[in-house]
Amino acid sequence: MSETYLVEPDVGFIKEVGKLGGQDLKKCFQCATCSVACPISPDNKPFPRKEMIAASWGLKDRLIGNADIWLCHNCGDCSTLCPRGAKPADVLSAIRAYAVTEYATPRALGKMVNDPSKLPILLAIPVAIFLVVGLILKMFGVNWLNFAPTGDELWQADYISNYLVDIIMVPTFFAAIGVFALGLKRFLADIHANALLEGKTTQKKIEPVGFVQALIKTVPTIMKHGRFTECGENKERATAHMMVLFGFIGLFIVTGAFFAAEWVFHIEGPYSQINPFKWLGNLGGIALIIGGILMIAKRMGQKDQVTSYKDWYLIGLVLLLGGTGLLTEMLRLGGMYGLMALVYVLHLIFVWALFAYTPFSKLAHLVYRTVAMTYAEYAGRK
Amino acid sequence: MDKKYGVYICEGCGISESLDMAALKAVPEDEGLTTKTHPILCSADGVAFLKKEIEGGVNTLVLCACSRRVNYDTFRFDGCIVDRVNLREGVVWSHPRDTFAQLTEEQKADGDYFDRVQMMGEDYIRMGMARVEKVKLPEPYKVDNLSRKILVIGGGITGLSAALDAAKAGYAVTVVEKEDRLGGAALNWRSQLPTADPYDRLIPPVIEAKIQAVKAEPNITVKTGTVVARLAGQPGEFTVSFKKPGEKIEFDVPYPLPPEMRVDESGKELDAENLHKKFLEYNEGRKDILTLDPNGELFGAVVLAAGWRPDTIEGDKYAHLGVGQSPDVVTNAQFEAIAKKGKVVRPSDGKPAKSVVFVQSPDKDEDDSDFDYAGAVTSLVSLKQAKYVRDDYEDGKAFIFYQHMRTPGLNESFYKSMQQDPGIFLTKGNVLKVSKNGGGFIVEASDTLLGKQLKVKADMVVLAAGMVPVTKDDAIVNMAYRQGPAFRDIGLFNGYCDSNFICFPYETQRTGIYSAGAVRRSMTTEESMEDATGAALKAIQCIESTNRGVAVHPRSGDMTFPDFFFQRCTQCKRCTEECPFGALDDDAKGTPKPNPTRCRRCGTCMGACPERIIGFADYNVDSIGSMVKSIKVPSEDDYSEPPIRILGLVCENDALPALDIAALNRLSYSADVRLIPVRCLGSVNVIWIKDALSQGMDGVFLLGCKHGDDYQCHFVKGSELAGIRMKKIGDALASLALEVERVAQFEIAIDEYDKVPKIINDFVESVEALGPNPFKGF
Repeated sequence: MSETYLVEPDVGFIKEVGKLGGQDLKKCFQCATCSVACPISPDNKPFPRKEMIAASWGLKDRLIGNADIWLCHNCGDCSTLCPRGAKPADVLSAIRAYAVTEYATPRALGKMVNDPSKLPILLAIPVAIFLVVGLILKMFGVNWLNFAPTGDELWQADYISNYLVDIIMVPTFFAAIGVFALGLKRFLADIHANALLEGKTTQKKIEPVGFVQALIKTVPTIMKHGRFTECGENKERATAHMMVLFGFIGLFIVTGAFFAAEWVFHIEGPYSQINPFKWLGNLGGIALIIGGILMIAKRMGQKDQVTSYKDWYLIGLVLLLGGTGLLTEMLRLGGMYGLMALVYVLHLIFVWALFAYTPFSKLAHLVYRTVAMTYAEYAGRK
Repeated sequence: MDKKYGVYICEGCGISESLDMAALKAVPEDEGLTTKTHPILCSADGVAFLKKEIEGGVNTLVLCACSRRVNYDTFRFDGCIVDRVNLREGVVWSHPRDTFAQLTEEQKADGDYFDRVQMMGEDYIRMGMARVEKVKLPEPYKVDNLSRKILVIGGGITGLSAALDAAKAGYAVTVVEKEDRLGGAALNWRSQLPTADPYDRLIPPVIEAKIQAVKAEPNITVKTGTVVARLAGQPGEFTVSFKKPGEKIEFDVPYPLPPEMRVDESGKELDAENLHKKFLEYNEGRKDILTLDPNGELFGAVVLAAGWRPDTIEGDKYAHLGVGQSPDVVTNAQFEAIAKKGKVVRPSDGKPAKSVVFVQSPDKDEDDSDFDYAGAVTSLVSLKQAKYVRDDYEDGKAFIFYQHMRTPGLNESFYKSMQQDPGIFLTKGNVLKVSKNGGGFIVEASDTLLGKQLKVKADMVVLAAGMVPVTKDDAIVNMAYRQGPAFRDIGLFNGYCDSNFICFPYETQRTGIYSAGAVRRSMTTEESMEDATGAALKAIQCIESTNRGVAVHPRSGDMTFPDFFFQRCTQCKRCTEECPFGALDDDAKGTPKPNPTRCRRCGTCMGACPERIIGFADYNVDSIGSMVKSIKVPSEDDYSEPPIRILGLVCENDALPALDIAALNRLSYSADVRLIPVRCLGSVNVIWIKDALSQGMDGVFLLGCKHGDDYQCHFVKGSELAGIRMKKIGDALASLALEVERVAQFEIAIDEYDKVPKIINDFVESVEALGPNPFKGF
């Protein structure tokens, strides 16, 4: 590239990446051990060396629209071998977190999600929504919120009706999809432009058909955690990640099924314990908890890996989702209804947070990494 | 002294197994000398035995045992002349019997057989005997008015540190500083590089504390606004004339005549008388170097810590960097001055300089060298000044484009720490162009770590100007030496005053004057302070050695000094001119005036003198010449096929140790060579070579150290001078109808012991090919 590139380092970006877990990025002295060590980096323009220098020079534009940061699976081989302790894996992870907030609108919300001091506000929002919607409906005689239901056998819907839950959760879910859609539009355009600029692609344009074909090729890799198992340092992590991913998928199926049962077939819960969907739900919840605990154990044991708020946020959410879900069920079966209602409220808060904040949190990698891997497949990045 | 000789042959370390002891003993016994053997001379018993001999009246001992480079303290007997005949390394170990077989009984009976190794041992004993006959016990040279005061030239961080160190060791010190206040370059700094653990942050300059410490030290006298007009005399009694800078006094040092004034119209060198006349005209108003200033102050030794000046960067050569086009392109020294005043601002409009590009290398014509006189310090200073930008402005940015980022030692921690700053950007790269852009600049660079040609916006550009040693511009010490007032420029040190800084730091080519700090090489404050200690210790060593009448270095403790037989001097001035250390001055007629305490005892003057009137008590033309003559040169009268004889004159500093190591490793070489150690190849007088050839020896070689850019000579130019003299000897050989190939000179480094046998053997072979010396048997 003969074109001269005007470099205007963004010091704020460097500081921000530092706060997000990339505090050692400036230590890089460009030996490229990381790129050599990385088992999944492509041969042409390998990462993360070029990302490291771009980051230490604050070249935000070169990084957030760079699909390569998403090809990284954060296995940490590079950090283990880095002679200077610059921790490339954590730097890329921090850049990803920054990129997520850049692509998600409104950006202010993204900032809040990555700021631990704003967590109470974020969790207060669903409480407020439920109270406001529930109380307004009450004024119109729709009694979907009941603070003191009576009866011998109660379940959580007696306190907070599933209909109330659904009319709040479903729009939230689709709003999140919308946020993702908006972000992805820009994201795809950016990563393509970046790939063209850096000579990482053979494709001139993104053709939808080809892209979908690439997606079909990519999904099995994701499901099988093919990339994870190429890692040297952190192989076992694939198990934890797979448990969480499949736990979520299972729970998503169960949620969908019960939504249909409720709205289409008008079958009211609670459902029988021998219902196969119930099994799937319980299994999903257990998978989340075991996966989450494994992740914590792994992170605690990993000396050369930085665990910042964004990581604890996600692991915490996983554990609390599974925990409150299963606990609600157990309390209901145990007949401790008051406590059940309380835990259920918490569970609803976390579910809402999951839906609403995913486009802004680390969990957004679910979408961006999938797209980036698909793009790499499509662009012939090898 | 009446010499009473004793020859003692050691039987240990394989000597008696290899050599015929009775035959060895017969050599001195035939001369009527007492000769005794001992199983292990270096043992307690052996030493007691020798002491008993000395008590019995022996005062001149020929110890035939190991190399003189080992057990030198064991075999030191004060008041006695001792010669060490090297039978162990020089004969037995280097000529093992499995290669050089002993004679069988039948062969011994047949007179035409000879044992080369035995011959070697006997020759070496003869040589030792010849030497002790010719040498005297040295007597120390003492100066008349020894001063123990140390003069420190330069009142900067180095000078003050040296003064404090010397004063604490109990020596009176005078510090001269040409400016009106102490402190030097460090006074201009805002902050300085770290001098102590953890080496990761800038610290306030330490100079003020040093100044206070110097002022509080009663042993130190400070003269500010003062320079040295002349330094006359010699170590131990330097007479120093001071003056104010710029002042003209009669004791300003005279300068030697420039070459064009030393010749007449036809280009012929003027005679001594006319030269002196011209010299007086050229230096009118200045007293000759031999006139001592009656008001001068006496000093024993000098520490030169005159420091550096920032280089100026100007001219078309640097036009691509914006030099001369904007006041906002400055050198690091100018930037420091701005930073010292307050926040860094642009000189042009006083606006904040929030984006500053530091350029470490001019990058001209694919040349990646840094600016002249730049080095580790300029790298570190760029990091320091980048930090100023960051300290002054929250949103400040500092870019450093370098070809070399040198942060030696623990300064690496400082580098790492600066690198951690989010607003400091470092990259290797070629700076192509600095062009104006509105009020600021655009700096373009290629081959950067970012893998592309890039440009950055800058408010200011700072160029890494080097530290020029002040000795480049000015003599400073102003020595009243015939060779000139400044250090001899041997074209290798770029203005730094240094002789051989790897082996002998601080030692300049002028004994008694020790350089420290940035006159030696560019240094940080920390390095300068450490350097000052070294130079102060050297100055003390000089005073104490002079007091005892011995050489300071590198022949520390040598009590001999060159002695001149002036009646036969022809005033040819070769000794005065060739002395590497300017030890000799000369009077109006050109007669040399020795200054023994300036001397390093290399013997270069002895090698130079065509009249052979210079010598040392234990090392002189006659002593070595007699050794050469004592070598038996067998001819056809002795054997039908006599062995050849080759003389090797080997430098005792590098070549001799290499030979000893070779022997230790049982590497062998021809047994037909006879080696004589010399102090330096520069001390080799060609008469020895002529003597050797005229008595029938077949070849002569000189084995010395390397010369050239990376010379290893202890005396700077010994091998070089020998080389020149060897070329001249060729004509003399031709007139004797001898092949010039019979004389050769080789270079060897101390660690090249594995190459030494081949060098010797190849030469022996080439001489054998020439056939025997026709003078043999005369």
